Amino acid sequence: MSDDTINKSRRSFVEKSATTFAALSVAPGIFLHQVGNARPADQAVTSQVRWGMLIDTSKCASGCDACVSACNRENGLKQHFGPEKDPVWIRKVKLRDTTTGHVTSLPMMCQHCEHPPCVDVCPTGDSFKREDGIVLVDRHICIGCRYCMMACPYKARSFEHEDVTDQKAYAPRGKGTVESCTFCVQRVDEGGTPACVEACSAENHNAMIFGDIKDPNSEISKELQKHGGNQIRSDLNLNTGVRYQGI
Amino acid sequence: MQFSMRLMHSVKLILGAVVLTASMNILADVTIPHPPKPRGDKCSIPGDDEHKTAHHFEYLLHKRDQTMHQGIRTKQYSLKECINCHGPADKTVHYGNPKHFCSSCHRYASVNIDCFQCHADQPQPAEDNQASDLNPASFPHYAETTAKESKK
Repeated sequence: MSDDTINKSRRSFVEKSATTFAALSVAPGIFLHQVGNARPADQAVTSQVRWGMLIDTSKCASGCDACVSACNRENGLKQHFGPEKDPVWIRKVKLRDTTTGHVTSLPMMCQHCEHPPCVDVCPTGDSFKREDGIVLVDRHICIGCRYCMMACPYKARSFEHEDVTDQKAYAPRGKGTVESCTFCVQRVDEGGTPACVEACSAENHNAMIFGDIKDPNSEISKELQKHGGNQIRSDLNLNTGVRYQGI
Repeated sequence: MQFSMRLMHSVKLILGAVVLTASMNILADVTIPHPPKPRGDKCSIPGDDEHKTAHHFEYLLHKRDQTMHQGIRTKQYSLKECINCHGPADKTVHYGNPKHFCSSCHRYASVNIDCFQCHADQPQPAEDNQASDLNPASFPHYAETTAKESKK
């Protein structure tokens, strides 16, 4: 979070506008207007926003894969060719403490790093980080070298080995390119939340929160400030956009 | 000498005639494309048909980068919207089939594109476009289209 420091003028602006903001809210936690929805459709994303996700592993149910199936459905990922070839954008990971026997279950996907190793190594510039912090593959220029897959410490990327048909119109994907979690960018650009987060809420687990971590009034920022959130492999100093509680 | 020149001349004439007839035959074999009619009223790409034929990919390329890198997802110059309007109603017709709007011309012009290795080549109505059936109304595209349809 050290890189997300908010400058003083912004802080004072936020403090001054707190009263205005209070007027816009009808009840605690329910807002008539969300800051994340403010971007007009014809304007480019800016670095004023940084999308992030907070996962509370104590709420994540072992054996539940609602987030995984929602991701597959949303992005049209089909499981046809076996575990060695099938695309995996999000997966459930089970951690077992060998001393205590305590089992933790968590979803693992692209961590949307501030300093993404996949972007560093990409020879064509197709692996890139958008201004709002979402790390994507521009498949138009991806040559399928898979260097990014090797560079990623989270094993977050997949290579599409086979011809793809009947793609979703909003989630194009095809043979010979690398792919990974996009934070459901097609939904986020429209003010929505990723499919996994929605699915988790629908299951009443509410283990995942999505939001703008640069906006101090967002649910995710408040929760991060109150209870914190760990990065996986924080030693790599990647400043991940996805944070975990309870690990 | 004169005889051989005359002979050469007639050989040239005959060859010319043969080439002409052959090329006319080839022309007669090539079917001029008749792309299927669009379903919408107004094309997103400006200009007449000639301009659209010659420059449509430039608009699409520009929009492609805007969408990919800047998150601008307006309908103008969007390949998705091209397909929603021009794409085949027949679910069995895919790119490569001469009945497909894009294929009809690309085959004629011998243009090889790879757009549809990744992009959907069939129109996808908005209700199919929201994959998460958990909370359909939360998907803004869906909500927008539903609102428009209920007005009609």
